[in-house]
Formats: sequence, structure tokens, C-alpha cells
Amino acid sequence: MALLEVKNIKKHFGKTEVLKDISFSLDKGEVLAIIGSSGSGKTTLLRCINFLETPQAGVIAVGDEVLFDGSDPAKKKDKEIRKNRLHFGMVFQQFNLFPQYTVYENLILAPKLLAKEKLKAGETYMGESSYRAAVDKIKEEAEQLLEKVGLTEKRDEYPCNLSGGQQQRVAIARALALNPDVLCFDEPTSALDPELTGEVLNVIKGLKSSDSTMIVVTHEISFARDVADKVIFMADGVIEEEGTPQQVIENPQSPRTQAFLSRFNRFSD
Amino acid sequence: MDFLTVTNELLKGFGQNCLLFALTLLMAIPLGLVISMGSMSRIAPLKVFTRTVVWIIRGTPLMLQLMVVFYLPALFFEVNLERFHAAVIAFVINYAAYFSEIFRGGIEAIPKGQYEAGYVLGMKKSQIFFKVVLLQVVKRITAPMGNEIITLIKDTSLARIIYVAEMLLTAENIVAQKVIVWPLFYTGVYFLVFCGALTLLFRFIEKKLDYYKG
Repeated sequence: MALLEVKNIKKHFGKTEVLKDISFSLDKGEVLAIIGSSGSGKTTLLRCINFLETPQAGVIAVGDEVLFDGSDPAKKKDKEIRKNRLHFGMVFQQFNLFPQYTVYENLILAPKLLAKEKLKAGETYMGESSYRAAVDKIKEEAEQLLEKVGLTEKRDEYPCNLSGGQQQRVAIARALALNPDVLCFDEPTSALDPELTGEVLNVIKGLKSSDSTMIVVTHEISFARDVADKVIFMADGVIEEEGTPQQVIENPQSPRTQAFLSRFNRFSD
Repeated sequence: MDFLTVTNELLKGFGQNCLLFALTLLMAIPLGLVISMGSMSRIAPLKVFTRTVVWIIRGTPLMLQLMVVFYLPALFFEVNLERFHAAVIAFVINYAAYFSEIFRGGIEAIPKGQYEAGYVLGMKKSQIFFKVVLLQVVKRITAPMGNEIITLIKDTSLARIIYVAEMLLTAENIVAQKVIVWPLFYTGVYFLVFCGALTLLFRFIEKKLDYYKG
């Protein structure tokens, strides 16, 4: 059974149809790369999955829990949406770290707020039922995450003192701190200098080996080919082609995919 | 009339300026925040109404507003406001309108990505405002607020127009009674010292918030 099921998502802004009936599914531990030219709807799709945009129609389900159903208004309530967002983590193109907090504080801010809220409601957080114990656990995990993204020594720096690549690695750790089921990346290296993209891509590669389920919207075709289990090529709001990297990137069938990839294939080995 | 007596008399007057200054700040800042929320509201009629009020307040002289607040209730409703109370009301409304625009600018300047980052981390709107956005807004509005607050202490002397016994009125009375002119110019010293202190205070706040950028 698929971990993430996305069915018949439709989204339009005014008269512009951005997503025309998008469906796909993703198994646990799989990495999905979404490629396609600008304006093809990749980012909007990712934003719909994270409930930053509300699709007009469609279903989003994680496991056997339906998180969004375009025909069910009860699923569009703020409180419901906020809870559902926690199934997903999101890493933005522009990092969006909180500038007034240190790296470490960026990591623990949201988990602490969530722990407080859950314990107040009589639930547990990470198996802990006292706030102090929960915070200890959050802190411990934050240190581990910093180590994972290789930024332990930057723990007490403010984001403005970090390079773009380091900031993006903090953003990845921050998203992981809430233990999402699916981690989404919206062009995570597009705002970075070419020499900094490698360190971010390496962190994402490292996450794959630790079995995280991920969706990566990217222009890094070679990265998609090497890391993804599944590739979707989007054009004009539809999935033009989908399959393994071997199928979609090395042997594309649709003329549009071929045209998009021709530039890449010409330069690659 | 010797120097010490004048200094003392003027100081009494300046006490009124300071009191008006403090009361205005205390009330105009929260009221300004409420007005800024109104002018950013998604409810169109509320937004239009708030922005119209702000336009009227910012578009007419404070001196005129002082007279309106003090004389109109007496003329039409036979309500006699105390002079100082009328001054406080006029100042609070006037400064709240200016503050609201500073707050609006500060809040709207925060990148959308800050809110979105909060949302995807499961934070509530109120948590995002208080834990993420607010300090960034404070940092952005420190300089314009400093300007406005320095203007406020000097503006308090406008209350003279409805005969609040503030420093300038006190000085004018001394000038008229004793036929000496220097006390009028001497009032400038009080304002200079007060504004100097404010400038230092705001420099300190800006320095305190200088530990991060963005």
C-alpha cells in the first residue's frame, strides 16, 4: 500500500488552470523527483500537498487517512489543515529560516510549541508525557539532526552568518525535526551558487539512505537520475511522463519530455 | 525674575508636556496596532473605513484637531471637556493614525516565506505572529518610530492652542508679565535635552536588535 496517494488534483488561479488532474502515489522510503520547465505546475503541486494552496478538487491521503478531499468542506478547516500539515515537511527555495533565532533555536522552536500544545490537550509528544522530558528529547534530536547535516559547529550562529548552502541544510534539519512522513523540497538548490549545490544535494542523498520518503522538485536532472526512484515530468499542468529515471530521463517516450531533456542529454556523458 | 525661578516655572510647564507625551505613547501604540489591523483587513468595508479615517486624521492639522476635540463637544452637546483631557484625546487619535501606517508598513514588509515556513512547521497564526514576525517588525520600525516619537514631544507644545498650561504657554505668560524675552527661547533647551535622551535610547534599541539581519 502506498504511503502517499494523490488523486485527481485540480487547481486554477482565476482562469489559469495550473494543475489539470494530477494523480500519483509514493511508497514509503521512495524518492520522487518532479522535473519540468518553469510554469509547468511543479511548485504549485508541492504547495497543494503542503496545504499552502487549496486545490479546487482532488484527494490527498497518507496511509489510510484522507487528509484532503476537494468535495468535503470539513477538510478545509484551519485546525484540520494545521494538523494535516504535520505529515509533510517542506524545504523552500529561499530557505525561509527565522533570522532572529540561532540555528539551534530554529530547529527547536516549532517542536517545542507543538509539544506544549499536545501535552496541554492530554496527548503525548514523542512518547513523553511531561513537558520537560519532551523538551529534553527535542533538544537531543536537534543535536543529532545538526550532526546529520554537518552543522554542529554552527549551532549558535544566526542565519545571516551562514552561506546559502549552510542555510538550506539548516532548513532541511528544521523540517526533519518534526518527523514528517514525507519531506518535500521546492527547488532546494535553485537559489544557490553552483559550488554550493553539491553540499545540499549530498545531504538529500544521505537522507535517502536513512529511508526518508521524499518529493524533490528540481532542475538538477543528473541528481534526479542518480537519486530518485521515480521521476515525473510535468508540462502545462499535466503529468506528461512518469516512471523510473531510466525510463523518463534516459529513454523518454513523449516528444515534450525529449525536447525538455535534449539540452541535458546533449551535455551529459 | 531670576534664572532659577524661570527654570522652575518652565519645568512645571514641561511636566505637562511630558505627561501628555507619556499618555499619548501609552494609548496611541495599542490603538495604532488595532487601526493597522483594520487597514490590512480582508473585509473590504472595514478596510475602506479605516483608511478613510487615517486619511482624514493625517490630512488635517493637529492644531485644528485639538480645537475640534475641545470646542465641538461644548458647542453642540454642552459637554465641557477638561483642556488636558481634550489634548490627550486629540493626540492619541492623531498619533495612532501615524503609528498605524508605520506598523502596516513594517508588517507588510515581512516576506511571505516567513509565514509559510511557520505554517509548514504546524504553527498557529498567532504563534507565527508573536514568535516569528513580531520581533522582525519591531526591528524594521525602530527608525521610523524614533522619528515619530521625537516629533511627538515637540508637538505637545501645540496643546497651547487650547490653553493647556504647557511650557510654551508658561513662557509666553512670563514674557508678557515681566517684559523679558529670553524665557521663550530658553524652552528650546528642554526639548533639546529630551530629544537627545530619546535619540540615545533609540540608538541603544537599534544596537540591541543589530545581532541579526533580515
